[in-house]
Amino acid sequence: MALLSVDGLVVRFRTHEGTIHAVNGVSFDLDEGETLGIVGESGCGKSVTSLAIMRLLPKPAGRIEGGSVRFDGQDLLACSEAEMREMRGRDMAMIFQDPMTSLNPVLTIEEQMVETIQAHRKVGNEEARARAIELLTIVGIPEPENRLRAFPHQFSGGMRQRVMIAMALALAPKLLIADEPTTALDVTIQAQVLELLQRLTTETGTAAILITHDLGVVAGMTQRINVMYAGYIVEAAPTAELFAKPSHPYTVGLLHSIPRLDAVQGEELIPIEGAPPDQRRAPVGCPFAPRCAWRLPDCWTTNPPLAPVRAAEAVVTTGPGATHRVACHNSPTPGEAAAGRPLREGFVAAPPPSAVADELAVVVP
Amino acid sequence: MASGTVAVARVAPRASRGLWGDAWRRLLRNRPALLGFVFIGVFVGTAVLAPLLAPHDPGALYPPPPDASSGATGPYPPRPEHLMGQDLQGRDEFTRVVYGARISLLVGLGSVIFGVILGGFVGAIAGAAGGRADNVLMRVVDVLLAIPGILLAIGIVAWLDRGLPQITIAVAVTNAPIFARLLRGGLLAIRESDYVLAARSVGVPTRRLLLRHMLPNSLTPIIVAATLALATAIIDVAGLGFLGLGPPDPRTPEWGTMLTDSTKFLRAAPYLIFFPGLAIVISAVGFNLLGDGLRESLDPRLKK
Repeated sequence: MALLSVDGLVVRFRTHEGTIHAVNGVSFDLDEGETLGIVGESGCGKSVTSLAIMRLLPKPAGRIEGGSVRFDGQDLLACSEAEMREMRGRDMAMIFQDPMTSLNPVLTIEEQMVETIQAHRKVGNEEARARAIELLTIVGIPEPENRLRAFPHQFSGGMRQRVMIAMALALAPKLLIADEPTTALDVTIQAQVLELLQRLTTETGTAAILITHDLGVVAGMTQRINVMYAGYIVEAAPTAELFAKPSHPYTVGLLHSIPRLDAVQGEELIPIEGAPPDQRRAPVGCPFAPRCAWRLPDCWTTNPPLAPVRAAEAVVTTGPGATHRVACHNSPTPGEAAAGRPLREGFVAAPPPSAVADELAVVVP
Repeated sequence: MASGTVAVARVAPRASRGLWGDAWRRLLRNRPALLGFVFIGVFVGTAVLAPLLAPHDPGALYPPPPDASSGATGPYPPRPEHLMGQDLQGRDEFTRVVYGARISLLVGLGSVIFGVILGGFVGAIAGAAGGRADNVLMRVVDVLLAIPGILLAIGIVAWLDRGLPQITIAVAVTNAPIFARLLRGGLLAIRESDYVLAARSVGVPTRRLLLRHMLPNSLTPIIVAATLALATAIIDVAGLGFLGLGPPDPRTPEWGTMLTDSTKFLRAAPYLIFFPGLAIVISAVGFNLLGDGLRESLDPRLKK
């Protein structure tokens, strides 16, 4: 029984400009103590998925319109707001992207940490304060007794993110969701914060979901990776396997658009052409088809389900032996993945069917 | 993780002053605001120390100057015993201006405090509850804002009858919609902020979220607006007095009422207009300058 089990999650935003199809049926499991990376470009539904799990979607626009989320044996989507509030912080916590705006500017660090602890534990101010000092020491903030009385604006970005981590881990939750925790930080601070996160989650046995668009970040931090595109998981695999054998054209594209220090002189980066699909339209076919070099005629009409790369393999969803799965009609071969483009003799990406062609004329050059 | 410790330790601990401490220091560097402080100091000081400052009794009638022809009536021009002259009945104008500060301060402050409470209450409900309650309350606010303030105040005084408490209520009600709208807008913006989301993500209870996180962060515009509203409240009170809706007891030294009583002698006794008018200007300008200064010093974007 997995700690977290997301099944067929659908999230839509009802706005004045129409419905945004943010998450279109996402399923994944997470075991206790596991670290899962969710990778994808902006707007692919990474953050929305995590906010949906926490039941913190902006109301009234954001709605969970399908699927289920089971956490620790409980159906989260059936929980009342009061039950969710009990669980947030105690059982599940979240770290946000921008530490500069995630702390209340008018309250001291002490007030914010103490209130987090007291929201869940019946402890006196002194005891909560002592715990806060302990936590600040753990996350590596010097002179915690003095710093506790400081206001957020007296902290640097990296230190604020340390405080956020301390608050998120204050009650030793079972699940920690880190939504781009290092995006707003300097590169040198990024490494420190990531190392801290990894050390603490390992020590406490906290399961973590690390959301990022930075493949370098997930490579060293996670055991498994889900690659998301346009509200779908397009590829799921153990980290090493994903980097060794990327099997979705989008994953291949992502890997080829990162500059590498060990690249051969003169080797070119291959960008992914085009832009993500307009999510105001209900998706038809594979969402990546318009940008894909490997597409077949089928790709325009049917969206392939997430299936094992090695056919007929029994699907394992969690742990280091998780099945490598991909949602693709025409997976790139290892050779093609290495080259970053189709190598088959005479292969041409299927042109869009005439019905979609007119609509896509603007998007696809 | 030695490198991390070094990088963090370099940030020297600094005394916690907080946002308000910083704002206060910025305010003290703002010259117009300091001038506002001086004006307000004169105004409030006069009101508080009125019995010590005023040489006479504000209600007593004093004899005309000895050189006045027999049978002459007031007003009488300023002379050493009566620095600002005497009014129609022979009362000491200086004493009445001094005691008038008490009335203006009391009614002005009372109406703004009452207005902030009333408007704040409505705005907090609208901003926190949202939905239908928000819609209904804000439409009421829109209607109140559509009526010119002084007209609304006249209507309320006419309805409640004349008197200082009634004037206080009237001016409070005309001011309240502004505060309601400000607080609601602030709360709505802050509800979507990252730190509220972060606080929710660790399970901070709703009540605490509203009282400790959202309200304090939406108070700055209210403080600025309240200071500026004090200026308009003083003018509104004087305006009501000038229009004959001041306190019914003619002995009450209310600046606006004093102006009305003196308009008949504008040419003969301009001093009866000048001094109460000057008092109104000093107090109103004082709060205006301070309000503008506060707005600048509390705005983090203008941080120097």
